[in-house]
Amino acid sequence: MGAVRLPSPRGTLRVWQRNATIFRKYWKTALLPNLFEPLLYLAALGLGLGAFIQAGGVGGQSYVQYIAPGLLASNAMFAASFESTFNTYVKMKIQRVYDAIVTTPVNVEDVVAAEYLWAGTRAALYGTGFLSVLAVLGIVFDEPLVRSFWAVLIPPTLLLIGVMFSVTGTLFTSLIDRIDLYAYYFTLVVTPLFLFSGIFFPITDFPAPVPQIAWFTPLYHAVNACRELATGPSPGVLVDVAWMLVFTAALFMLPIHFMRKRLIS
Amino acid sequence: MKQRTEESQSSARGTSIVARGLNKSYESFEAVKSVDFEVYRGECFGFLGPNGAGKTTTMKMIYGAAVPTGGELTVAGLDIRREERAVKRRIGVVPQENNLDEDLKVKENLLVYGRYYDLPKKETMRRAEELLEFVELTDKADAEVEHLSGGMKRRLLIARALINDPEIVVLDEPTTGLDPQARHLVWERLRELTSEGKTLILTTHYMEEAAQLCDRLVVMEGGVIIAQGSPDELIEEYVSPEVLELRAKPDALEKLRALVEDLSDAVERAGEALLVYTPDAGALQERIRNSGVPVDNTLYRRAGLEDVFMRLTGRRLID
Repeated sequence: MGAVRLPSPRGTLRVWQRNATIFRKYWKTALLPNLFEPLLYLAALGLGLGAFIQAGGVGGQSYVQYIAPGLLASNAMFAASFESTFNTYVKMKIQRVYDAIVTTPVNVEDVVAAEYLWAGTRAALYGTGFLSVLAVLGIVFDEPLVRSFWAVLIPPTLLLIGVMFSVTGTLFTSLIDRIDLYAYYFTLVVTPLFLFSGIFFPITDFPAPVPQIAWFTPLYHAVNACRELATGPSPGVLVDVAWMLVFTAALFMLPIHFMRKRLIS
Repeated sequence: MKQRTEESQSSARGTSIVARGLNKSYESFEAVKSVDFEVYRGECFGFLGPNGAGKTTTMKMIYGAAVPTGGELTVAGLDIRREERAVKRRIGVVPQENNLDEDLKVKENLLVYGRYYDLPKKETMRRAEELLEFVELTDKADAEVEHLSGGMKRRLLIARALINDPEIVVLDEPTTGLDPQARHLVWERLRELTSEGKTLILTTHYMEEAAQLCDRLVVMEGGVIIAQGSPDELIEEYVSPEVLELRAKPDALEKLRALVEDLSDAVERAGEALLVYTPDAGALQERIRNSGVPVDNTLYRRAGLEDVFMRLTGRRLID
């Protein structure tokens, strides 16, 4: 009973397919706000606030150029966080979708792994849309927002970012029994990460221990990786990717364990 | 009512489910206390009992939603703890609470469910159409699940449980909350399933349902099995074949009780009525008439499973 149960690829695929079947029906309406929101940040902060930032911008880039890749990363975080919190909670507690699935040859561990993968998929899909918009805007306004061909690696990176934040979101979901508790998750985890992970200002310029603390948080590495891939990476990007892989792997089985306890008595 | 099942015949068919000392404890209480039962292949086997008797927990152990804390449970010849996935592949489940996928339309529910069993796409499509026909939902194939009536949802749950052509179908209160028409339609379909050779296991609160469908059944209370047999056997064993229901004023009821006690197998007080189980109702009625005790209303009927159930589990209200 206490044995570690690894997800089966087959079962994981089946639940992923269920989500994809449903997503195909409404992807157009789902995609639009997700493209629009980062554009609002770009306009308000990049152009509005950016106008007050001295010529030369941040590290030789204009302010819009500086924040655009970071917003790709935070967008993936938000997409995966909503998926693994509210959406997963509704499927688990209200619609009882998982109760039905686990009476088939698909097990709880497959369901949870599929939800990770699905959140990653959504993050990558939205991010790819947003990335395309950035590329087009860069051409239209003659201020390239995506300047390196390494940017083709951004979508798979967003997949990893999505899976990573799905693991943390699902962990929270697996432990709570009231939907309003998500306010804590978003206020105490998601929003601080959004503000202090180097999207809007270089966190490394802060006095110790702020940069050191940032290094131990997931979005910091996600932002670094996206920014490096958008502008032409240094070998340091490998550290960020490795950090995210280790973090994800370390927590991967924990929500599975708790979800199993909730779904199987 | 079904014919009494001969032991020898049944064991020749082989067993579908065997429970030996099956136990399920939660932190604070024991839901199922070391029960033994055998379900033969191709029969309809019922679990009766008041709420909280351990029926649903037993069902959940069979379909893997609860893990036994003791004893043995083999389903379709497989150990439920060691071969969970293989067991789940061979059974179909109709849960007590509706858990259809509301994000999917009626037919999509069946198609997506078929994928969980790795059925080939064509095969799933064919079966989905057949099953919608079977449960009379063909014209609702493209409807949203939330627009279905309670009876339709239950029928769709039954169709969903059959998508993998299971050898065993587990039904937890399959007709609770349905109107009589819907209930009879479900019964008809379930009878067709047993005639196809599927093994059915169901829990129910309706004695009529158990009498109509079940070849054999067990009565559970407080986590233990307190009686088992075919409906006829249970009636024979636990109540007399005839019942006299006497309604009268409370003080008259007590007089009547004294009057009939020696001529009856059992006398029970149920509110304003006295239930007298007797092998000879005629003699009793005669005696009551002669005594002159005023009776408002007399009902004479054959004993049924409901009498067995009330006799075994008592007339007090549970939870």
